[in-house]
This record gives sequence, C-alpha cells and structure tokens, in this order.
Amino acid sequence: MKKMLPPEELARDERFTRLPLAARMGDRRRSSRPADASGGPAKRRGGLQLTPDGANAPDQARGLMHGIFVGEIQALEGAGRTCWDFEVGSGDDQVPFELKLDMARQCWDESRHCEISIKLSEWMGTEIGEFAESTFLYEAACNPDPVLRLTGVNRALEGLAIDVFNTMREFGKAAGDPVLEFCEDWMLADEVTHVKMGSDWLRRLTATDPERRERALEFQRVVDKLFSIGGVRGEGKDSPIKLARRFRELAGFTTEEVDEIAALSAEAKAENKARLARTTG
Amino acid sequence: MANVTVSPTEFHFVTFDAAEVTRLVTEVADLVGLPSDLPVHVAIDETTPLGRTRVASLDPVTLEVEGGAFENAKAPRTLSERSVRDVAARLLFRVSDRLSPDFADAPADEELTLAQTVAWDVYAVGRAARAGLTVSKPRRLYHFRNRHGFNDVADAAFERLWAADGFSWAELDAICQETQTARV
Repeated sequence: MKKMLPPEELARDERFTRLPLAARMGDRRRSSRPADASGGPAKRRGGLQLTPDGANAPDQARGLMHGIFVGEIQALEGAGRTCWDFEVGSGDDQVPFELKLDMARQCWDESRHCEISIKLSEWMGTEIGEFAESTFLYEAACNPDPVLRLTGVNRALEGLAIDVFNTMREFGKAAGDPVLEFCEDWMLADEVTHVKMGSDWLRRLTATDPERRERALEFQRVVDKLFSIGGVRGEGKDSPIKLARRFRELAGFTTEEVDEIAALSAEAKAENKARLARTTG
Repeated sequence: MANVTVSPTEFHFVTFDAAEVTRLVTEVADLVGLPSDLPVHVAIDETTPLGRTRVASLDPVTLEVEGGAFENAKAPRTLSERSVRDVAARLLFRVSDRLSPDFADAPADEELTLAQTVAWDVYAVGRAARAGLTVSKPRRLYHFRNRHGFNDVADAAFERLWAADGFSWAELDAICQETQTARV
C-alpha cells in the first residue's frame, strides 16, 4: 500500500464534488452584508451569526454540517494514514507505537462521527454531496513530519472543530433541536480528546528539540490563521463561529495559546476586510 | 408567456447568464399561473455569495435575490437551474397569493414573523412540487421544525401545508397559531 497518499487520490463516489482551496479562497465576493440603514427586520434577519432568529439559519446550519461531515471523512483518512505512513521508532520521521494506538482510537471515533453526521444530515434535510468538498483537513495531514502533522491536524483543525461543534451545539439548543444538540455534544467530547492527543504528543515528541517544537507551532499558526476563514471564527459579537475557550483549555491549550488564536482570527478578519474593500471598490 | 426581465444583464463576479435566468423564471412564472402580461423583474446582487431573497415589490413585481441563492452549491459562482426554479417558484407563488383577495389581509412581508414566512414557503414549495419542479421536502421540513417546533403537532401542520391548495391567509395563519400553542 502506498505511503503518503496525495489528496487527489482520495476515494470518493460520484456524489462528491471537490472544490480546490484556491477557488474557495479566491472568491472576490463579499461574505458579509453592509449595514441595513433601516434597522428593521431585514437587518435583524440578515446577520451571519448562527442564531435561530437568522432567516437563513437552518440552511447555514445545513451547510456547516455538511462541511463537518466531509471533515470527519478526511479526519478518518488522515489518522489512518498517520498509522500507516510512519514506522515505529525515535527518528524525526518515525513515531512511538503509542502514538499509532492513539491514531487508531481516533479512526474509531471519526468512523462513528461519519455515521452520526450522515444520520444528522438526513435529519436536517441534506443530501450527501449537496455541497462542494474542500480537502484542506486531509492536506494538512500530508505533512511528512509526524509532529507537524499532528499539530496542524489535531491542534489547529480539530481545534477549529471544537469551535464549530460548540457553535452548532449552542444553535441546536437555542433552536430546540434535540437531535442536533445531542449529536454535537457527543462529537464535541471526542474532539476535545483528539486535540488533547495533539497537545500531548507535541510536547512529548519535542521535549528535547525546541527548534522542532517551534516549527510545529509555526505550522499550527499558519493553519489557524488560514482557517479562521477570514475571521469567521473569533471572539467578536458578530463572529459566526465562536472560539470555545473552555473546551480548548480542557484540550490542553494554555490561556496564552487561546489568546494567540483569537489575535490571529482578528488579524485574518482585518485582512479579509481590507482585501474585500480593494476588490469590490 | 410571462414578461420577465433580469438585471444586471452581464455578470462579473459570477458566471451567470441573464438570458438563462430569464428563460427559467419565465418557465416558472407560467407554471405558477401568473398573468402573461404581468411584468416580473429579477434583480440579482452578484457581489455576495449569501442567499437572501425577497419579493421587493408587487407593482411592478420585483424579486431581489442575492447571488448565492441562484448558485450551484457544488460549483460556486456558477448558475444552478434547480436553485433558480426553486427560488422563483417559492417567491412567485407568494406573489400569486398576494394578488388574490384571499390574502388581502396578509401583513406585508417585512411584518411577517419567521414562523409565518416559513409556513408560507412550505405552502408555496408544496405546490411547486406538484407542478413538477424538483424541490427538497426534507429541507423544507427542517426549516419548518426550526420555526414551529420539533414535535408531532408541527410535523402534522407541515404535511397539511405541503398538501394544501387554495388556502387563504386566515387558514395559513391559523396553522401558525396552532403550532405556537403547542410550543408553549
């Protein structure tokens, strides 16, 4: 079996359509609405926050849930590849056997999440493949250094998953959707464990190699900023995806590390705003 | 044949074709049964991928659509025939209702609650399905449950609305009050 499987070789059936990251990021259209001068119902219903009083909230939730579903597939593929791509050993391109056990456990969790996501999507009226798939999670799982791979996937992207699951769980609770709330709560618990695995292995594998740790953290910063999605994830009142501080702390992030992610998100938001101002005149 | 116009006539942020949108909306307007001499204008905001839509005016009939509502979710920035038909049917059935005396006492769109808006959408999309358009009933059910409750009363109300024809505003609003009572 091939090692280091490139993203374009991931197996999907005809229901799925892949959207290159460059195409998604290169969209010149504004993803926020200008303020509604009337201050009336149109404004009340037009925000991007995922709250039940948003007119498009159910469709926003459906789209987000589909994104979570394809993310679960890729997380399963990524953790599975990490079990296979590296030999057991103490070299920089090797991993301890216990790390493989953690990845095997994560595969088990992600498989369950895929099944939950399929059932949940059906409940929300979404067809598999209704929305385009980006493979950014799996792409981060292609890093040839296992420490960078775990830092990028388990700490940055699974960390984003914590924020998304928590946001969805809160939405389900506020909307009175017991199925959504319950499913997100269970998956959120697993994500905290996955992020904790990333935090633990980062510290253990780089305990005597500060330079490698810094490279891994830098990779995480790049991934975190990129997937703040132009500031969509953040701590602002208008952030559609809230940074889940408490759950991140449970997953091994220090307060300073969460502060840094919040700052990166704010920076990404400001850059996105400036970019849109340039492109839309 | 309905008298449909679309603006803008050329798109720069998306690859929509105004003539294609005109053709699709015309087809739907005829299916809905709008008078053939009724002008219908579709104003598309191509600068946003968001998907808000509304009937901005009845005289002349003007539909305002954010570009995301017409696009293919699998291929951003490209037109989805299914989405155009879906949105046009939902809005034009509402226009047709508002032109009827049975809906004379319906509040203006801006005054409708989300529950009333979604109930009206279900009533419209159910008729679109029976007119032969491809629509997603599960999607509409999820919207309806979000506004009317995740319970058996709401589900039964949804089925009645979906199957309805010739409703008045009073009947539609009565269903909203029924689900509201069940939530308290």
